[in-house]
Amino acid sequence: MRRCLRAWEFERVRATLAASLCLVCANFGLAAYGQAAYGEEVPRLTFAQLVDSIRANFEVTQTMKSFNGKEVEIHGFIVPAGPPDLSFFLLSRVSAMGNYCCEVPVGQDETVHVYAPKGVKILYDPLRVYKVRGAFEAGPYTDPTYGTSLFRVRNARVEEAVGAKIFKVGDTPAPTPSK
Amino acid sequence: MTTLTVALKYLRGRFVASALTSVSVALGVSLVIASVLLSRGIQQGFIEGTTDYSLLVGAKGSPTQLVLNIVFRMDVPTPNISYSTYRQLQDDPRVEVAVPVAMGDAYQGCRYVATTGGYFAAYSWRRKTFAISEGRFFRDDPPEQPAYEAVLGADAARRTGLRVGDRFHEGEEMAEYPLTVVGILRSTNSADDRAIFFSLASYWEMNEVSRKTKVKPLTAVLVRPKRMSDLPGLHRGFNITAETQAVFPSAVLLNIFNVLSLVDEVVAIILAFVVLVVLLYLFVSMYSATLERKREIATMRALGARRATILGIVLLESCALAVIGGALGIVGGHGVACLGASMLAGRGGPVANLFVVGALEPIVFGSAVALGALAGLLPAVLAYRTEVAENLAPLS
Repeated sequence: MRRCLRAWEFERVRATLAASLCLVCANFGLAAYGQAAYGEEVPRLTFAQLVDSIRANFEVTQTMKSFNGKEVEIHGFIVPAGPPDLSFFLLSRVSAMGNYCCEVPVGQDETVHVYAPKGVKILYDPLRVYKVRGAFEAGPYTDPTYGTSLFRVRNARVEEAVGAKIFKVGDTPAPTPSK
Repeated sequence: MTTLTVALKYLRGRFVASALTSVSVALGVSLVIASVLLSRGIQQGFIEGTTDYSLLVGAKGSPTQLVLNIVFRMDVPTPNISYSTYRQLQDDPRVEVAVPVAMGDAYQGCRYVATTGGYFAAYSWRRKTFAISEGRFFRDDPPEQPAYEAVLGADAARRTGLRVGDRFHEGEEMAEYPLTVVGILRSTNSADDRAIFFSLASYWEMNEVSRKTKVKPLTAVLVRPKRMSDLPGLHRGFNITAETQAVFPSAVLLNIFNVLSLVDEVVAIILAFVVLVVLLYLFVSMYSATLERKREIATMRALGARRATILGIVLLESCALAVIGGALGIVGGHGVACLGASMLAGRGGPVANLFVVGALEPIVFGSAVALGALAGLLPAVLAYRTEVAENLAPLS
């Protein structure tokens, strides 16, 4: 009887440990799911497409406006024009730092205002291409703090774009199908 | 008598050993808390203390030196640029606001900053607001009639003890050009609190070199463009010249954060070892305590205590040590961080408020208790498996 009780208690301890292990595994599983959610395919917009969409009087095409409010991905260089927590920055086709070897900096047509209310945690490198994902907005808008812009990405998430290619005006990238 | 009461009685029974174990846990926890708070506080201090201006134009040299000196009043000033650079920026249609700044010496460690009234102007895009707590702002006097009026930052006034109407100068050679305090600023929680501001006309007249030259010097110009998208063009324009450089203050700070993150990684490795050592110490303490009282445990078992109760007692003891150590460590960590922050602030370093309630303390406390339970697990299993017959045998 005593041996039986002992075995039951030991089983109880083992069950508690197993439950804890399951909880830890479930946590890892959720984290992995989170990664997968970020890895979902979203339509990618290029600077070439942004420039092509601009019409007279600071207007943009309906095709570009159709992306308004939708999650998009844009690749470009970060120009830290706002605070150092990167809660606001410019995404540009050309790096602002290549002073002697690169192209002349671009203007409003190839600059996207990026808002990341919680800030961005990245290792900043002015000569590195970053992948920005967030809710896209096209059309003229004046922000009281950061002024007028044509293109914006809100609630942005940023990560380094390994092997990314920045498309120049005139280049025709393969369009990413929208899901 | 509950399991907890028995566990606490055991701890009281070996008070010195229990106290030393708790202190070691407290030291480990306070080290973690202090390191994280200070690292976060310094980074937040840089973020909160930075300028609202998007671009800084100064002489060719180190961008870090330019930003640290102009924005945070650290390091030595970069070489001078000509006043014409400011004029050029002022006339540029892409520029909304350009503010000239000239860095001078210091009075009792508070840096002289010569500028115009524009430095204190309120714009819709500015987070920082300047307000006078006493007196008024200095006048933008013409170059030929310097008024030698000074406005003190809140800390500068406190440190120097100067009041509105006081006249002061640093060094004998400046005795001919004493400055008169006309105002004291409210605190802005930035490096401006430790500065003494006066007009460019006064600065040029006080400076022996600039007094004689026709082209007046400046250290830098703070720039805000009309459209953010014009920033890269402005940046490039002032960088390709031989005399000037243009810097994004945030880019410099991000580079500093990159270096700090490397330091953070090294500190994290050291802290991981500290946690491991504390965990081992707690484990050794609980293990030896369990070995010492095998006979007592056997007696308890003989008197009817269940194995699970014995397991619970040892685990509770270990957790109680971690709870006491964790609580003491959180308090101690805040104390150490506060001391470190005041030392850094005394040396002009930017440190933000460290006492913001966050997730750090509950996470560290919870982890300390979990690690305490982990350290007590093996001794608890050892106690659980104690055989009554073997351990109740006569000693002689």
